[in-house]
Amino acid sequence: MKSEATTILDSGKVKFFLAEVLRNFSRNAGMQVTAIGTVAITIVLLGLFLFVRAAIADAGRQLLDEISVSAYLRTDATPQQVTAIAHFLAQDPRVASVQYVPKREGLTELRARTKGTIDTALLTENPLPDKFRIKARVAEDVPAIAASVRRLTGVDNVVYGQKIVQRLLQLGALLRRISIAVIVVFFAVAGIIIANTIRLTVFARRREIAIMQLVGATNTYIRLPFICEGLLDGLIGALVAVALLAVARAALWPRLLEALPWAQLTVVPVDGRVLTTELLGVGAAIGILASWVSVGRHLRT
Amino acid sequence: MISLRGISLVYPNGVRALDNVTLEIAKGDFVFLVGASGTGKSSLLRLLYREAKSSTGEIVVDGIRVDRLRRSRIPALRRHLGVVFQDFKLLVDKTVWENVAFAMQVTGAHTRDVMRQVPRVLDLVGLSHKSRMYPGELSGGEQQRTAIARALVNNPKILLCDEPTGNLDPANTTEITALLLRINLKGTTVVVATHNQAVVDRMRRRVVRLEDGRIAADEERGYYYLGLRESQVLSG
Repeated sequence: MKSEATTILDSGKVKFFLAEVLRNFSRNAGMQVTAIGTVAITIVLLGLFLFVRAAIADAGRQLLDEISVSAYLRTDATPQQVTAIAHFLAQDPRVASVQYVPKREGLTELRARTKGTIDTALLTENPLPDKFRIKARVAEDVPAIAASVRRLTGVDNVVYGQKIVQRLLQLGALLRRISIAVIVVFFAVAGIIIANTIRLTVFARRREIAIMQLVGATNTYIRLPFICEGLLDGLIGALVAVALLAVARAALWPRLLEALPWAQLTVVPVDGRVLTTELLGVGAAIGILASWVSVGRHLRT
Repeated sequence: MISLRGISLVYPNGVRALDNVTLEIAKGDFVFLVGASGTGKSSLLRLLYREAKSSTGEIVVDGIRVDRLRRSRIPALRRHLGVVFQDFKLLVDKTVWENVAFAMQVTGAHTRDVMRQVPRVLDLVGLSHKSRMYPGELSGGEQQRTAIARALVNNPKILLCDEPTGNLDPANTTEITALLLRINLKGTTVVVATHNQAVVDRMRRRVVRLEDGRIAADEERGYYYLGLRESQVLSG
């Protein structure tokens, strides 16, 4: 009287299945706590990484707003050349904005910036050339834009905050590499710990598994409770991590703003709900992957 | 129902468990596989439910080419078979009922079918009144009857028994043997590997004798020892 409809669920089946999962999960509580803790640490680190990266990106964007490429024109540049340069820049997709600054305006700006520390009244004539002030959409493009403008006829010299831009880019890249390495290591550790936890459960249930195989349970069916166990480890760990991150943000963020006023930290534009979903997803993924591998090894032998 | 042609089984350690075995078992047959320990009785059974894979030869069980079966199809094969062991292989933390129902539940049976089928097989093996007991509270015979109920619960056409009475005293052995016979009479093909001479000689069924991995004898109404006379059994 074996039912062919193996996919149809009924309450009895669901109850049986959940009881199996729960029994597995509670069988070695110590290991579960370790697994959950490791996942939590991993995901807190991941959260911090995303947070810091967003903060750096934000700070970079602010710095970038202040960095512009100044293309100084030759004093003998013809109006046609100036128009050609303006046209060229307007076509460049990397350029966010272009502003033509005639030398008179440049002097006014200089006066404003120096606020009287230099007596511009001493100048008998305006020493500044006309220039274009160019802003890039992305900080990475600033050097390339500068290089392409420098080649144009009528351009005398191109100046931008070269060092600042490069340092910023380097710092960002370095931080990214370090944090990715740390996170990869932690992911591996979390995965291994979950896999070992599942292996203990598999070991404790080896007789049941043997009987399941004997009576013709499919490997998918045998795997499922263990996958659920891994999933629970991952999800609970991720939940703990999200809670920790939320508390940390609420408690520490105002103090950080206070302590580092020069850093010009703004509220980091991270959507809490999106981040939570992502982190929970990551936790679930570690759990499923680790348990899949762990049970798979047992079923093959 | 079961057909083996030119079957050889060599284990990875080089031991040749079966050597060119050819055997036909018809539907509804009751067959004893006899022989000393290590002659390949268990190996032969293991081939049938694909716990082991033959090195050469062709095996057909209930229309399934077992020797060519893909791993993913093994569960389907095993749902056609019931297997019983010397050590019962019951789950000690489950009751008799749960042990039997387990075999249906893990193969995705509908709860309604479980509720209908489990009492039937428990009644068949005579354990209805002990369905709430745990294996530890049962006698060896009762444990083996639970295991047989579990093997039968999915209505297999073939029941494979590997030393089913190996751990039992004579009284329980008789009881289990009688049960296997009853199951056979209901139409299930039964294959029993044993070295219990008394059981084989009393039953007078088909006896296939293995020696060093080869079939040494195959008698329709045989004795444990080849050519043993009826008078010798009675006097012995």
